[in-house]
Amino acid sequence: MRAYQDMVFSTAARLAGNDTQAEDIAQEVFIRAYEHFSDLRSSVTAGGWLKTVTTNLTLNYLSRYRKRWRLFSELRASQDSDEDGAELDWEVPDTILADLSAEQRSAIVDTALRQLPDHQRLPLVLYHFEDLSYQEIAEKLNVSLTKIKTDIRRARAALLPLLQNAGGARDTLDG
Amino acid sequence: MNKRSESEQKLEQILQQALSGLPPRRAPGTLESRVATELARRALLPWWRASFAAWPVVARVAFILVCAVLGVATILGGISAYLGDRSFDEASAVLLSWAHPFLTVVSSAGGLVALLVRVIPPLWLYGILGVGAFLYVTLFGLGAAAYRTLYLQPSSAGDDL
Repeated sequence: MRAYQDMVFSTAARLAGNDTQAEDIAQEVFIRAYEHFSDLRSSVTAGGWLKTVTTNLTLNYLSRYRKRWRLFSELRASQDSDEDGAELDWEVPDTILADLSAEQRSAIVDTALRQLPDHQRLPLVLYHFEDLSYQEIAEKLNVSLTKIKTDIRRARAALLPLLQNAGGARDTLDG
Repeated sequence: MNKRSESEQKLEQILQQALSGLPPRRAPGTLESRVATELARRALLPWWRASFAAWPVVARVAFILVCAVLGVATILGGISAYLGDRSFDEASAVLLSWAHPFLTVVSSAGGLVALLVRVIPPLWLYGILGVGAFLYVTLFGLGAAAYRTLYLQPSSAGDDL
């Protein structure tokens, strides 16, 4: 468990954007792992199994009380295409957070991710951290491919200023 | 490729650089003890309070058999109580006599619909269908507006998963 607990917690925390929920999810993941201990004990894919279970449990956790509103939410998402989230309308820098250590970058990124709404953070994390394709994310989240692309594009546009501001503030503090 | 899509590609690349290779977050120190405590708590539960999948095979098979027997006994008991000591032919006649009024009602309703379709001018039918569709769309729109106004708060604008 010690070998994987950071990975499991980290995956759940970045997806859920909430440490308390992530700890609950991580607990459930390891209880399931314990129930499959005989299979996982000698498996070389135990890490992959844990990551998949963590991702699926987190998505289930987040969607448990929201499925009933999916119809209207999709309707809202298509209607509000011009008012929901930022669009990229400024110059993109060549690098970002490049001068910071991995730990500093991690802290800034996690704080910024928590500020994104679920429907932007989830696909963004699945794309950039879990290396899933747009199509795989659309299937996993059960939403259209077009919406996934739009949400990820807007998530990036919303994340950029958050990272720049946080990075600038960190530089100022360090300097 | 236009300037906007170039910018978006560039943004994807620099974010990928910034996000890739980040170390995992450190799990809380309490996680391990929480898991151990929960496992111990679950181990103390009697087997019948665990999930059905965790029941012993014998218990699962017995449970399914008992349920099946109870279900069949309930159905047979109900039929037997209703029929009493009547013969099979009488019983069949009784059951068919139940179905007869139902079939008559369905047949009459079908005849009535056919008559109405012949008697009512097609324009009226189209009008009725149109009004029905209009009411449906109106109610759907009112529902969506009520959802957006009463349920969605600005702070939960993205909670649609």
